Amino acid sequence: MSGIDRRLKVTSGFHKKYVKKFYEDAHRVKAENRPIAWVTSTFPIETLQAMDIVAVWPENYASVCAARQVSVELCELAEQEGFSRDLCSYSRCVLGSMFGYGKELPEGGLPKPDFLVTTSCACDTHLKWFQVASRLYKAPLFLLDVPYNIGGGDSTHLDKTHIEFYMSQLEELFPFLEKQTDMKLDIDRLRETLSISNWTSQLWMDIQDLRRTIPSPMDARDAFSAVFFMLCMPGSHLAVDFYTQLRDELREKARDGIGVVEDERFRLVWDNLPLWFNLRIFEYLNGLGAVVVAEVFSHTWSGSLDPSKPLESLARKYLPNMANSSIKRRIDIISSLVKDFHANGVILPTNRGCRMMSIGETIVRDAVYKQLGVPSLIIDVDSSDWRVAGEAQVKERFSTFIETLRMKP
Amino acid sequence: MDDSLMKVLQSFRNFLLNRHEIVREWKSRKQPVVGWTCTYTPEEVLYAVGALPVMVWGDLSGTKLADAYMPSNSCSFTRSCLNAALRGDYDYLDCFVESNSCDNRGKTYDMWVNYTKIPNIYFINTPHTNTGKAHQFFYQEVVKFKEWLEHTFNKQISDDSLKNAVGVYNENRTLLRKIYDLKTKRPPLISGVEFLEVALSGLVMPKKEHNKFMNQSLGELENRVDLPKEGVRLLVAGSVMDNTELVRLIESVGGNVVADDWCTGSRYFWNPVDLDVAPLKAIARRYLDKVPSSFMYQREQRFRHVAELAEQFDVDGVIMFVIKYCDTQMFDAPLLRDELKAMGLPVLCLEWEHSMSGFAGLKTRIEGFIEMVGGVQE
Repeated sequence: MSGIDRRLKVTSGFHKKYVKKFYEDAHRVKAENRPIAWVTSTFPIETLQAMDIVAVWPENYASVCAARQVSVELCELAEQEGFSRDLCSYSRCVLGSMFGYGKELPEGGLPKPDFLVTTSCACDTHLKWFQVASRLYKAPLFLLDVPYNIGGGDSTHLDKTHIEFYMSQLEELFPFLEKQTDMKLDIDRLRETLSISNWTSQLWMDIQDLRRTIPSPMDARDAFSAVFFMLCMPGSHLAVDFYTQLRDELREKARDGIGVVEDERFRLVWDNLPLWFNLRIFEYLNGLGAVVVAEVFSHTWSGSLDPSKPLESLARKYLPNMANSSIKRRIDIISSLVKDFHANGVILPTNRGCRMMSIGETIVRDAVYKQLGVPSLIIDVDSSDWRVAGEAQVKERFSTFIETLRMKP
Repeated sequence: MDDSLMKVLQSFRNFLLNRHEIVREWKSRKQPVVGWTCTYTPEEVLYAVGALPVMVWGDLSGTKLADAYMPSNSCSFTRSCLNAALRGDYDYLDCFVESNSCDNRGKTYDMWVNYTKIPNIYFINTPHTNTGKAHQFFYQEVVKFKEWLEHTFNKQISDDSLKNAVGVYNENRTLLRKIYDLKTKRPPLISGVEFLEVALSGLVMPKKEHNKFMNQSLGELENRVDLPKEGVRLLVAGSVMDNTELVRLIESVGGNVVADDWCTGSRYFWNPVDLDVAPLKAIARRYLDKVPSSFMYQREQRFRHVAELAEQFDVDGVIMFVIKYCDTQMFDAPLLRDELKAMGLPVLCLEWEHSMSGFAGLKTRIEGFIEMVGGVQE
């Protein structure tokens, strides 16, 4: 069976074909004197897409810098300016790229923002980091202030006052965007964008469903690349086209029983972020007969939107994000992934500079074990700062964990 | 020192030292005790329901118990508070109020629910902005909180009892401010440690009693003969300070802590509740509009507060004491440092564990800074 090509064709060369092009396009827009926005995850990006606003996503840029092995140098630049090494490495990396890096930056750096939009939905870091950027670039910042989903409910079980507060701020967001861009919001265009975003989401979830197949046809390495569209441009035809191709390829693989590895022995759920600077670590797991079949990250960004109620459905999509919810939500998501994807283990990587994802992992570990008898590994790593944990150390933890799974009856 | 002044200052210290015993005694009179830990908690509402509101703190003894659940990169103050609760220090609480005011606090809510024995954990959603919409939202949160307290303690909270609470709390703020202002004098009429003892004790004892003791000490402080030793005048900026060790250290090596930017210090009492609208509305409004903590959007307002304090209290330098791992302070620190330096003020930036482990290193850095600032002065 060694002649079988297990790699996916659609995702091969992803960075060059899509990510690189994304940044080239953004630089071109900047050169044409059209406005560039900076945005963070968990912001309802469909609002920007509906107004044809080109938004770059510094978090994604940090992951690109990590993959290119320059994130630590950039982090160090930010640290020299007084930003603590204990801060989120995404933010340090991007701040570093703003402080005059002597060499050429990946993708030519981030185009400077004309304005910034963020939200308190995921973390304090988004707000504070963007405040620094806003001050440095003298560009206005809009903050969408999101109540914490303390009940831990999903999109259908949210507090009425939370939804109202969210929606009332979207009503303030549009005038802000109109002022920054001299463009008008067309509500029909917004509805259309939401429809496309729904379509993208549906395709992405179809892709995830195909990964339930045993053996699983797609690994985390591909998923962490392909999720790019869900985050950066869910309401675009490009996303729909790409995910359609990917789904079709996975369908074939699933039909033919071609998995990521020949002998799939362990199926894992991966929480939080990957080590962007070392995505090959997933191949190390493959070598141990383990495949990451679901990432919490891949499941966090979907959500159905109702074009007839655009503002409310945006609130319902983004407000119950796991980062913005009490631990119940995280346990619910991880438990259902474990069940639905027939997983035998969960990897809970902390992210050194990320309190939101690091705090609560013991509760998740214990609840998942109690409910399903499935063990978890909590491992101290960082998404972009490899000084936090060495590769040998990470591999050692993984192999020990897999060994425990092997010994489980 | 005057005997009576010494006695009254000593009593604040005693409240701090014996706070758990004092609270237990209050509790034995069948009155509820509610713990809170973020200064955005509308304490007046707790007072109005007849509860004793006490701020939950950690201590400097390490966080061994909490470390089993909280990752090492989480806020060391929050971890220390949880540690104290896990040890049973706060078993007397009828309720604990948590909030999402910062990521660490919000996420730690689940820890309190899962790992401590406190019977009721309440969560207040705190906005990060103070726009009209945010005020509207926060007011609804405060209404819900009031209704929850009424239900839990089976007691109605009337407008009159809220007004009464505002009266007591505003008096508390006025008195704290009056005593604080004694630090504008040269040498200050009250040392940094003494003041912190006054301020902190008020967070864990009945407010009326606290007011009574402050009233007693005010006149004597104003006419104080035995003054604190004059030193380098410093402002200490940071998030929260729940103990006197840092200030004691600074004052033991030639500093006078004459101003601060702590939520348990100046930011706690700077802004009163203005009763020109219905009391609950007025209370909710005060909290969102007060001198903000670093998690709020209005960073400039906090920076302005620090700059104004530096001027008003005529400080020679600023120590920024960032408790590890406070994201919001860590992001603000380089910017605040630059603003203060632009004002011509020397600044020492410290990032330290709440427990002040590595005390010798801390002392060396502070000593060096004070020598440097003192040298510039001469």
